[in-house]
Formats: sequence, C-alpha cells, structure tokens
Amino acid sequence: MLVMEQHSGCRDAEALLNLQLNSSISIAYHPQFGPHDDLILLELDEKLLPDVLHQRVTIRGQVDEDAVLCTQSKTYVMKFVGTSNSVFLVPPSDHSAVSKNSNDCSGKDHNQQPIASVLKVAPGNLELVEIAPRLNKLKLLLSKNPYSSEEALEFEDLEGVEKIKKGLFTWDDLVDRVQASDDELRHGLQALSAVELNGYWRIVNERYMGTILMMLLHNSLLNDWSLDALNEDEVVSLLVSDGFPPKLAQHCLDVYGTKVNEGVGSCLWRLDERRVCVHFAREILSTGKTKIEKFMEEWKRKIPEGMHASIGMLEGEVLTEKVGADLWIRAFSVSSLPSTPAERFSILFKERQRWEWKDLQPYIRDLNVPGHSLESLLLKYTRRTQPTLDAEPVFSTR
Amino acid sequence: MQIRIKCSCGADSCPEWAILELQGIVEAQPSFQDRLQNLEIGQLCRPSSQENYTFTIGYHELTGSKVPLKKPFLVLKKVKLMDVDQRNEDNSAGTELEVVGIIRHRILFKTRPKALISKPQPVVKERASSTGSSVLTK
Repeated sequence: MLVMEQHSGCRDAEALLNLQLNSSISIAYHPQFGPHDDLILLELDEKLLPDVLHQRVTIRGQVDEDAVLCTQSKTYVMKFVGTSNSVFLVPPSDHSAVSKNSNDCSGKDHNQQPIASVLKVAPGNLELVEIAPRLNKLKLLLSKNPYSSEEALEFEDLEGVEKIKKGLFTWDDLVDRVQASDDELRHGLQALSAVELNGYWRIVNERYMGTILMMLLHNSLLNDWSLDALNEDEVVSLLVSDGFPPKLAQHCLDVYGTKVNEGVGSCLWRLDERRVCVHFAREILSTGKTKIEKFMEEWKRKIPEGMHASIGMLEGEVLTEKVGADLWIRAFSVSSLPSTPAERFSILFKERQRWEWKDLQPYIRDLNVPGHSLESLLLKYTRRTQPTLDAEPVFSTR
Repeated sequence: MQIRIKCSCGADSCPEWAILELQGIVEAQPSFQDRLQNLEIGQLCRPSSQENYTFTIGYHELTGSKVPLKKPFLVLKKVKLMDVDQRNEDNSAGTELEVVGIIRHRILFKTRPKALISKPQPVVKERASSTGSSVLTK
C-alpha cells in the first residue's frame, strides 16, 4: 500500500495534458468528487496574472454590493458566467486542496493504467470587467461629518474627538467600504480636497476653508508676501498663531496653491488664481442666484489684488440663464454631481431639458467609463439635434 | 469588507489543472447516482498525430481537441479563517481566497457523440449513422 501511495502522478492533470500519441488514459470521478463550492474559477487577462500571483490584488465590497477586484491602480467588477457544458475539473495529483487523503493510486485501481480524475463539475467561472471606481460612496461617507470651525475650537478636547469618532473613517475603513483601488481612492480623496486629521480622512467645511484662506490673504497683505512665492513655514506658523490647527493651515496651501520649488530649505507656494477665484465665486453664489452684472462686480471686489477673474474660470461651476432682458447666474457645480453616467445625465436633464454642447461639455468631460468614449456615452444617453449644418448641436434626453 | 487573494505557490510554480469539457451532461446509471466517487467515466485516447482526442463514454464516442484558453483561469479556494477576529460575528468576515492552481488548456469536445457499435459491421454501421439511432448487434 505504501509503495502504491508514493507512486503518485498516475492520477492527475499532467498526465491528461501530456497524453502521448497512441495512448489512452482513464477518466474517472475523483475519490473526493463533489460540488466543492469553495473552488472558484477566475478568468483573467494574462497581464493581471503577476499581480494576483504576487498577492497584490484584493476583493472589495459590502455584502449587498457585487464584488470588485482591485489591483494597485484599477477596479474590475467580477461577473459570474454560467455554462451549459460539462466542465470537468482535473486537479494535479498532489494538490493540497484534496491531498488530505488522496491515496492516489491505491484502492480500486487494480489495473496500472493512468487515471485522470474529475474533482468537480464547474458550473461556470468568474470573469473580470474593468469599471470606473465607485467613488460616489466616498463622497457620501465623508460628507456625513465635514470638519468645521466648531470642531477646530474643541481641538484639545479629547472627549469631544472620541464622541464624534463614530461617523469618521480611517484609510482602512474607507478601503473596506469603497469599491476602488488604492490609487483611485487616493485620487478620489484628492479630488474631494479631503485631509487626514488624527488618522481620519475628512472633508473640510467650505466656509471654514474660506475663513483660513481669508486669514492667509490678510496675513500676506500685512507682511507684504507675494502670492506667487509664499514661504510655507512662515504661512503655516502665522496661521497657527491665529488659532488654526497646523494640519489645516497646511491643507489650505494644498487646496488653493501649488508648490513651486521642490528643493532644499523651506517650500515656496504659489496661490492658484483659478482656484482662489472660483472659491470666491462659489461663496457669493452660495446665497442664491443673482444678476450677472451684480455678481461680476462683487466677485472682482472680493478677489485678492493681482488676480484676475474671468467668467471662463467658472466652467462646470455655474449656469447662466436669460430672464427677460437680464442674464442671471447661479451655482451648479460638477463636483456635486454623481460620477456614474446614467445618474449624471438624469440630473443634467432634470436641470435643463436641452443642452448646447458648450454648456454640456464641462459637466460630462470628467465621466470615466472604461471601454467607452465620451461620444459613445452621448449616443447612449442623449439625443442630438442639429437644425442646420452650421448650427450648434443640441442635446436632449433619450 | 476586503478579501485577500493569497498565493503560496509563487509565479513560476503554480500547479496546472486541466479541464475536460463536453456539451450536455454525463449521466450515471441510477444505481450509481449518489456514489460517483471513483467511478470511471470513460477512456480518453489520443490516436493520431494531430491534437485530436477521442473520449469514449459507454457506447458513445466524442471527438475533440486540446485548445489553449484565450485567457487563463485561476483556481481559487475559499478559506475560512478561524477566530482571527472575534468582533465580526457575521460569516463573511475572515474569509480568504487562495490561488491553488492555474488552467491554461482544456480538452474540448464540441461535436455530438457518435454511437459506437461493439462489433463493427459495414452494413449495420451505415444504417446506424443514417437513421441516427444506435443499433447494437452482436
């Protein structure tokens, strides 16, 4: 018996795949043949193989979501594809999944003919389809508890921090809840201008960010700092002495500025004209729609000296409409819209029944669906009309 | 929730499994239905020089060939982790997937089975194939 057991290799996939010419092999049910629901077949692209074999992929999703597989940078939804064929799975002889007591050639095989044995009949396999990361949920989670000035005041109050922790999320919490790869999640956090505070990723209340920015501009004026070359150490330490948490002072530079030197010594930052101007426009429009002349006047008054506001900066931020003889402007920000095309177009067409291309484009250019161009999304979700050849095309709902 | 895909075999030494695929289903005699283990299904032969295979199941013969999969399959095994995290009482917690094998080829039989005559006789064989029924004569 012992000799027989050592004589492995007579019941395996290798024998089947390397069957020689003019020879035959017996196909039988495995001693442990059964449903083996714990064995899953995953079809995947050759280029993803190294990622899986080097343990660089994870499967993410809550119980009520369909699972996605994430590499470092991409997200794939896992779809089960059934088959009506009989797919007999033949393991290698020494396979650990079945090796517990697979006395390979012992027992009933009295003849010494090679055998390949079928462990399971596979009902189908999983396949992977690349998708855009599901970041709507990230926004939803972080919007529950934006960081605000009240919280900044009780910064030292540890009990207060403990109290609020329930609705807060660390990086690991987010990875557990959001179906996106690490890179895409990091990108999403950046797009939301989120910041990590005491280990929790937070969106900062816009009004509070505005307060910090105002203070920064105020300090620059007092100290004669150039907005194109702000010294990080000076800016941050002055804001901290004004009572702002250091992390948020730093965050203010991240949100409204760009680092200009990556070199030695202290960092220099340039405030981004567009981002600063957009901030003030949003602030003005947060109280509701206004006539465009009044808006422009107020906007130009609010922005710091040396910066130039132009209406072109507000693409994807505002909509204008004619009421009688007047042109009115109101806030309608692309960043507040869902990132899935179906929901996005549905909201856009609720907002307006007909869109001209130049108005529509800023609200859809960020849509990202792997395998679909913007043109194909337009074909799918809109009806395009163009009364004459030289007229602007107009898009309406399907 | 996050499920890791583990792989202890490494990139080069992932054990290769095989697939034998045919249309329809193989049915065992009713008396064997609930104890298929160790039961022989049939004989797989590789007669000629091409990548041709014949699979004989009972009185049926299938003809097929070995074809590489367009994309490889990984064989994953669900592994339940025991008392790693006591807080999570739901079943889904503490599951891992382990790569236990890779499949690159299948032996595919996509034609309808041919009825075999135990002792081939030219006249009978001809009639058998033309009527499509299996006439078995000694």
